[in-house]
Amino acid sequence: MAAADSPSAALRRRDLCSRGIRLAGKMRADVVDLLDTYVEQQGLDASATVAAVEGVPLAAVERWDEQTGTQRLLENLAAYRAFRALLAQMLEEQREQLGEADAGLGRALAAVLLQVSAFAYHLEELLRLESRGIPGEEEDGPPPPPRLSLFEQKLRGLGVLRELAQWALRSARDLRQLAKPSPATGTAPGLAESP
Amino acid sequence: GDPQNLKCVTHNLLKMLCTWDVSSRGRRGQTDFCYTTNDHTPQVCFKTKERRVEIPVPESSITVTIKSPGTAFATKEFVIHQKDISFAPVTPHILSLTPDFPTSALNLKWSDNGSVFPYGLDALWQIQILRKEAKEEVTKVTYYSKLINEDVILSWNWTSDMPLECTSHYVKIRCYINATQFVGPKDWSDWSPVEVIPGKDTEPGGSGVFPLDTVVAVGSDVTFCCVHEEDQRITNMTYGSKSYTMMQLSSRSHAIRVLNASASNSSGTNVVCRLENGMMDGSVVFVGYAPDIPQNLSCETSNFLIIKCTWKPGRPSGLYGGRKTKYSLFERISSKNVSCEVNEMSKDRVCGFPVLPDQKTYDFILDVSNPIGQAQSSLLVDITQRVHPKTPEKLTVTGNNSTSIQLRWFINGSFAGIRLLCQIEIISGHSEKKLHNVSMPGGKSSSYTAQLNALLPNTKYQFRVRCSDADHFWRWSDWSRGLEQTTSEA
Repeated sequence: MAAADSPSAALRRRDLCSRGIRLAGKMRADVVDLLDTYVEQQGLDASATVAAVEGVPLAAVERWDEQTGTQRLLENLAAYRAFRALLAQMLEEQREQLGEADAGLGRALAAVLLQVSAFAYHLEELLRLESRGIPGEEEDGPPPPPRLSLFEQKLRGLGVLRELAQWALRSARDLRQLAKPSPATGTAPGLAESP
Repeated sequence: GDPQNLKCVTHNLLKMLCTWDVSSRGRRGQTDFCYTTNDHTPQVCFKTKERRVEIPVPESSITVTIKSPGTAFATKEFVIHQKDISFAPVTPHILSLTPDFPTSALNLKWSDNGSVFPYGLDALWQIQILRKEAKEEVTKVTYYSKLINEDVILSWNWTSDMPLECTSHYVKIRCYINATQFVGPKDWSDWSPVEVIPGKDTEPGGSGVFPLDTVVAVGSDVTFCCVHEEDQRITNMTYGSKSYTMMQLSSRSHAIRVLNASASNSSGTNVVCRLENGMMDGSVVFVGYAPDIPQNLSCETSNFLIIKCTWKPGRPSGLYGGRKTKYSLFERISSKNVSCEVNEMSKDRVCGFPVLPDQKTYDFILDVSNPIGQAQSSLLVDITQRVHPKTPEKLTVTGNNSTSIQLRWFINGSFAGIRLLCQIEIISGHSEKKLHNVSMPGGKSSSYTAQLNALLPNTKYQFRVRCSDADHFWRWSDWSRGLEQTTSEA
C-alpha cells in the first residue's frame, strides 16, 4: 500500500480494522467455547494430537512481520473461505449423524459459521477499500473431501476448530498491523489501536 | 518278495482302492492282479505296475490273487471280507466361502457328493474354523444332512465374534457317512483343503479400527481390533474413556473385548487405538436399543381426509440421525404404505394416512425398525367410528332476544354422511353450568347453528361448544373459545 490514504479512506480502513478486530475476538471466544462442547459431545480427548487436516490453512506463518497488508488480507480471506466450507460440511455431517438429537452443538456450529462468513465479507470490504480485486471463489468450491470414517470426521472437526481459534488470534494481529499508519508516509492519520 | 499288508478303502461304497506292499525289495515290474467275488462270477485279471488297484466293493467277500515279479513269481491269495474294508467318504471340497463384513458373517457352500451314495444315508459334516496367525481353533461344528442320491449344495452360516477384517479366518470341513448297511469300519474323510478369508492385517497398508462405525445392542459383548503397519506398536486401545487389555491376533493386529456394552451418547462411543508414533486410529460404535413394540396404537380422523395414528414409542432407542428408528404405516386392504416422519426428540408419535375413497375399514400395521431390531403393532379400525372433530371455530351469536339466543360455529372437515352431536356449555352468573346437547347432519367444512331457549332476560351468559360423532361416539373435540352474550331486556 504505497499510495498515501485519503483521510476518509484511512478513517474507513481504521473503522473496518477495529470492527474486524472485535469480530475476530468474539469469534475466538465462541470457537473456544465451541471446542469445549465439541470435545465433550464427541467423546474426544481434549489433548488428542490431530494431524494437519487437509484443506485447513495453517495460521502459523513464517516471517509474519514481512507480510504486506494485501498479503495479510488475501491469506486471511482464503483461510476464512476455507473455514466457511469446512464448517458448513461439519454442520451437514452433524445433522446427518445426530439429526434432531443434538441441536445444541448444531446451533453453536451454525453461529460460528455465521461469524466466519461475516468475517470473510469484512475482509472483502477491506480489500475493496484497498481497491484490490477480490479473488473469485473457486467456481465449484473446494474439491469434495474424501469420504472419512466417523472417527476421522470427529478428529477433523477438532482440527478445524483448533485452527480456526488460532486464525482468529492471527487475524486480530493482522488487522492491528493493518490499522497502524505506514511508516513510509507517516502522514496518514494513524489508525488507533482497537481497545 | 511276497505281496503283503493288503488294505482296501472305499470312498463311495461301490469301488474300493486296494494297496499292498512287497516283503523284500524286488524288481519292480508288471504284477498280475486277479479277483473274484464269492458269487462265482468269473475271475477278473489284469496287469499293473502300481501296487494299488481299484476294484468293486463286494457284497460280502472277495478273493484276490496277486502275482508279483521277482526271482520266482510269488503268488499270494487274499480273501477280503466287507468287514475288512474301511469306508471313508471322499475328501469334500468347499465350493465357496463368502464373507459379509458388515455382519462379520461367513457363508460356506459345499457339495455333499450325494450322487455316489444310496438314497437316504445320514451324513455328518464337521466344520472347523481357525483364526489368527497361529491358526487357533475358534470352533468345530457338526452339521447334519441326508443324502438323496443327488449332489446337493449345502450352505452354512457362521457369525464371528470379531470383525472379519481383524485377522484371517480359515475354514475346513470333513465328512462322515453313517452307512448302516456297510459292516466295515467307517471313518471321517480327510479334511478339505483350507479356505481363507484374509484379514486386513495381511493387506499391504491395511490399517484401521474395526468394526468401523457400527451399531450394536446395549448389553452386547463386542470385540474391537486395531490393524496397523508391521513396524508400528500400539500404546493403548480405549473404549470410551476406559483403557482395555489387548489381545494379540497377529503381528499387525491387536484386539480388545468389551463386555455388556452400555448405551452410547448421541455421537457414539469412540474406540481409539493410539500408536507409538503419536498417531491415532479410531472407530465409532453406536450402542442402542431395538425399538419397543409400539403401545396404544390408535387411529382417528378429524376431517375424513387424513387418518391420524398415534402411539407410545416405549423406551427410546438412543440412536439418532441416519441410525434412528424408522416408522412406516402399512394398510393391508389397500396395500398402501406410508413412511412416517417422526422427531425422535418429541414425546408424541404421529403418522398421517390418507382416507381412501370408498374404504371404511383400515387394517393397519405400524412397522418400527432401526439397525438393531424391528417391531410391529397392528390395528383394525372402522374409521367412521373414529371421528374426532377439530375444535369448533368462529362461535358467534346470530340471533338474540330476551329468552333465546342463536349460536353459530364452524368446523373444518368433511362430515357429510354422519350426524354430529354438539354440546353447548351455558354459564350464567346465577346458575351453575348447564350442558345443552344438539345433533345435526354433518356438512363439508361448514357452519352449524343451534337455538338456546328458556334463557333469562337481561342476563349475561358465557357459551362454548364442542362436537363429536353422534352415532358412534369416539371423542369430543376440544372446546371452542368462549363467547359472552347478554339477553335483551324483557
